[in-house]
Parts: sequence; structure tokens; C-alpha cells
Amino acid sequence: MNDLERIERIKAVLGERAAEITNPSPQRIFLTVPARTLVPALEQLKTELGYRHLSTISGVDLGDVFEILYHFGYDGGNLNIRTQIPKADPRLPSICAVIPGAVLYERELQDMFGIIVEAIPDGRRLVLPDDWPDGNYPLRKDWKHVRAAEKIPGGKS
Amino acid sequence: MKFQIPIGPQHPALKEPISLRMTVEGEVIRDADLRLGYNHRGIEKLAEERTYLQNIYLTERICGICSHSHTTCFVQGVEALLEVVAPRRGQFLRYLVAELERVHSHLLWLGVAGHEAGFDSFFMYTWRDREVVMDILEMISGNRVHYAINTLGGVRRDIDEALRTKILDSLGILRARTDYYFKLGANEPSFVGRLAGVGRLSKEDALALCAVGPTARASGVAHDVRRDDPYGIYGEIPFEVCTADSCDVLGRTVVRIKELGQSYNIIEYLLRNLPDGPVAVKAPRRAKPGEVVSRYEAPRGENIHYIKANGSDKPERLKVRAPTLANYAATLAMLKNGFIADIPLIFAAIDPCICCAERTVELIDGRSGRPSQVRWSELRRMAARRAGRVSKKRNMEWPL
Amino acid sequence: MLKRLVRWSRIKSPWILHLNSGACNACDIEVIAALTPRFDVERLGVLLKATPRHADVLVCSGPVTRQMKDRIIRIYEQTPDPKFVVAVGACAMSGCVYRGAYNIMGGIDQVIPVDVYVPGCPARPDAIIGSVVKLLGKL
Repeated sequence: MNDLERIERIKAVLGERAAEITNPSPQRIFLTVPARTLVPALEQLKTELGYRHLSTISGVDLGDVFEILYHFGYDGGNLNIRTQIPKADPRLPSICAVIPGAVLYERELQDMFGIIVEAIPDGRRLVLPDDWPDGNYPLRKDWKHVRAAEKIPGGKS
Repeated sequence: MKFQIPIGPQHPALKEPISLRMTVEGEVIRDADLRLGYNHRGIEKLAEERTYLQNIYLTERICGICSHSHTTCFVQGVEALLEVVAPRRGQFLRYLVAELERVHSHLLWLGVAGHEAGFDSFFMYTWRDREVVMDILEMISGNRVHYAINTLGGVRRDIDEALRTKILDSLGILRARTDYYFKLGANEPSFVGRLAGVGRLSKEDALALCAVGPTARASGVAHDVRRDDPYGIYGEIPFEVCTADSCDVLGRTVVRIKELGQSYNIIEYLLRNLPDGPVAVKAPRRAKPGEVVSRYEAPRGENIHYIKANGSDKPERLKVRAPTLANYAATLAMLKNGFIADIPLIFAAIDPCICCAERTVELIDGRSGRPSQVRWSELRRMAARRAGRVSKKRNMEWPL
Repeated sequence: MLKRLVRWSRIKSPWILHLNSGACNACDIEVIAALTPRFDVERLGVLLKATPRHADVLVCSGPVTRQMKDRIIRIYEQTPDPKFVVAVGACAMSGCVYRGAYNIMGGIDQVIPVDVYVPGCPARPDAIIGSVVKLLGKL
């Protein structure tokens, strides 16, 4: 099944929920879905079309919105599902009910961007240290790190 | 009566820091939980301030054992964004180093597995043979680890005829030794008894938890990015995807040894069909705005990089997901209903690369909250004693 | 008399503890490769121990992450005197490519005092053995 046939099947299954489907290069399909219908759309893609291997979840800070991409791998290429949420109210539904392996990636989104993932089974901190001050989300574009002065042993500073 | 055991960050045997916390009832683990972050270096944030060329050296140092896999995955993506195609000879050399890295990584893992199972001679043998591969890599690139052979548009160094014949000769030595390891791994009863039945991961769990690499392939899931989503020249190289059905650590060992055989075949194919021509083309500095997803089969599993470009010479966003992170959820499933003494082996079986350093296991009494210390080496000795009662060792001959 | 014997045994048989504080693993596999038959430090009396309480020399690699800082200090204090610290690799010396990251403090010497620095990315096993020999020469 090549890319065009796959796109037709996805359009047939999702109907008007799929806002925009593109095929920028061979073996790569990009699909946009609004955030409210994300979980039912993924459920349909998994049960009816068999997309069940989630590679990872990426977050991008675009200024006023966060763009979240779900990367799925299948036999023959890679399907990427894009959704956007506003930065002022960063709430995202959790997909762990559909894909149990997504919990670590969602925890990372919470740590790095400050996105609140609703109904996540286990929402603890994943990668940032225990004594990291709250409210600092490193991967946001407006967060800059100021390095503390280093002490050089031997006297010269 | 339940105890909580934290397995903290510093391990006597090998590698990186990670913290596991287990709830234990007697010797059986009921629940497991993990804490990452000891190895978090903020690479994704650093990558946004460096140019694409500088990022090649940054991504290389994400991991030392599979460094070439991260650079190749990154360079594949950036070359797609810059719309350059590396010349064929350059691509052949790039994937030759990739397969050599797979060989060195699997030999390293075999040594680690032997060490965790109590078989230190096996560890010494495999690491001695690994030195053959390290010598070849040093002759090709100049360094034993962190080869820095990729650049935007191709590779940086070429190989000549003498080096090509030398690599083909070394393959003969490596093949003979790998056959010996296969015979050892499959037939030595105490080794097999130690590994079989440990760390079960059923096929449904492997699919639901999105496990990757030899961990998933040992449960019968035949996912391999080289075949599913061929990148570079893998579309034309003949090879097989190795799977096993036993769903335990023994299956993972067998899968990795079979993959060694496949890698030798691929290296031989690449060397015998090496085309002539340049090894690199000049690549532009700025990338047009766009995004690309690049996947690669690292020795540990599927490596995925997502790169977004914004028209300047620095990336807008680089997202890296290394394969071991995908296997953590599966590891927690494997640890449930296992024994404490099996923890080193189960954890080593996923070939942890992002983190794993020392672990002193600290036992906390569930009721009183009092801690007491158990050493990792103590766990290994407990395991060896338990396995020693299981089967007897035959008289081995030592042909090497 | 006893002091000379103790000093002789310390030089002839230093036991090391390998500590990784957030490194990429390359220096760690070179440290372990130093134990394997090609380089073989065991003939010099060096043993890799499991716990800081048995160690004379702490071989550290990796830039110090914030999470590991307290743990490194704790392990340093658990090691009995006299102890020596060897910083292996460019990351342990100054942070290598990670300088400036938000979770990295710099080299190991920001946290514990270091006696010998071994440069390289990664440092070759020959260089690591040479550094241990240099350290013993200072004793």
C-alpha cells in the first residue's frame, strides 16, 4: 500500500475530523487534528487502521500556541499527527487510555513545556531534578538560562 | 508484608545513573517505578543555539556507545531539509560505520550480560574481540569512540584498498568467534538456566507499550526500521530481521547474536560493492523553513529525530527520542513478579543506554521506614547462588 | 616502618570506584575497556570495586548534573581517607559540549577537589592508565 492509498483510507475513516493531510516526502504523512477530537481520532486510527506503534510525542513552542506532534510508525513509513493548543491555557487530553506506552512522553511534555495533560495516569516529574524551582519550563522560547559564575580551582577566576 | 526498595543512582558494574523504586514482598517484586533525570543535560535547548554543523558534534555526544546512530539520524534529516543528497560512496561508508557500530555495541552487550549473569570470562572474551572492531574504526576515522565521520552532504574520510581488504579479513576472525559465542550461549546449561524465563514480556505487552529494538524482537514483534521505513541505501541491501519467540532474556541474547551475523553479511556486501566517486558534496548553510522526521535503527532500537527549520542556520527545534526511553515502560512491566536477584539482568537485557549507573539497593521496611543497604554485587551473588542449584556445569573445552 | 609498608601497598594496589555523573558513556566504556585483556590494569593491582567504602581512587566522568551533585558529595564523603579523584574526559574537566546548559554545573572540580585530569573525548584507556601511574608517582 503506497502513500496515496493510505491517505485515502485515513480520509475515509476520519471523515471531516482530519483537517489537513499532506505527504511532503515519500514515506511521510502529516495530518492535522483539533485537540478536542484527538483521543477519538487516535482510537479510530488504532482499531480500524492498525496504527499502534507510537514512536514519540514532540512539542514545539510557536509563540502563542504549542504544537504537539504524535509520531506513529507503521510498516512502510511514518505518520505524524499534529495538534495545537493555546499557550495561555495549555491543556491536552491524555492518550494513555488508547496507547499505554505514551505516559513517559506526556510526562516529559509536562516537565519541559508546562503543558497540563488531563487524565494522565501518573503525572510526576520525569527528567528535571527534584530541586528544580516550579514554574520554569526550559523548552519554552522565552525561558533563558543565566549561567552561574564558575570557580576555577587554583585561584584564577 | 511489603517493602519499598529504591535502587539509587550509582552502580558498581557499569554505566549511567538512574533510580528505580520497587515495592517488594519477600523476594518477589510487586511493583516498579523509575526516576530519570540524573543524566538530563538539556541537549534540546543547547541545540537551538548552535548551527547545524555544530549540532552534529552535539548529537554525537548524546550517547557514547551509539554515537554514530545519533549523528546519522540527525544528518539524514538535515540533508532532507537542505535538499542535498550524499553521493553513493559517501552513503556506503556512512552505513559501513553504522554496521560496525552495531557489531561493537552487541559485543559490548554480550559482555555486560555475561558479567551480570556471573560469567566473567565471557565478558573478557567478548571485549577482547570488540578490540578488533575498535581497531578498524580507529583506522577509518581516527578515534575509537565518537568517530565524527558524518558531515552535511556525506562523510569526511575515505578508505583505500588496503583498508578495505583488511576489514574483509577481520570479518573472518569475528565470524569464527561469534559462532563460538552462539554455541556457548545456546548450549551451556548454567548460562542458559540463568537467562531463561527471566524478564518475560509477552507479545501483546510489547506492542501495547511500544517497545523497540531487540527487546521487542525477542517477543516475536518483527519491527525493524531498516526494513519498515528504509533510509539511505537499506532499500537495496539484502538482510533479514532476526526475531525470537521466547520473550525473555535468553531470547534477547539470541536475537543480538543473530543480528551480529546479519551485520557481518551487510558489511561484506557494502565492501564488495563499494562504488567509486566523491564522498561528500558541498551543502548550503541555511535550511528553508520546514520540518522533517528522521528514523534510524540504532543497536538498541528505533531512534527518532524531529527537526524543524525556520530559515536560519540554526534549528528551531530538535527533538530526540533515544531507544532506551521507549523500552522503560516495557522494563517496568518485565520487573513485575520477578525476583530481586534478577533486577541486574532484566535491566541489562534492554541494553540501557540513557541511564543506568550504580545501584545500591536500599531496603526500606514498609512499616517502620528504616533503611538498610544491599549492594548490587550482593544481588548478583544471590542470583548466582540461586542459579547454581538449578543445573550443573558440563566440562567445557576451550578451543580459542 | 609500618608507614612504609602501608605506603607501598597503597602504591602497588589502588582500588578504584567508577562514578558516572551524567556522562554520555564513552569515557565509561573506556574505563571498563582498561580492565579488559588488551589493556589489563589488573596486572598493575587495580581492582574495580563496588562500593566507595573500599575505594582509594574515585574515577569520575561526566559533567555534573544538578540531580547528581548531592549524590557525588555523599559518595566522596563515604570514601575513606586518603582518597584521590581522577577526572576522566573533557566533560569531567570543564563540561565539554554541554557548557552553558541549564542542568549542568561544569566539571567535577566544581563539586569535589580533583587530583588528576585526563583530557580526551573520550580519554583513551592508555591515557587513563597513564594518569593512574602519574597519580601513584605523587604518593
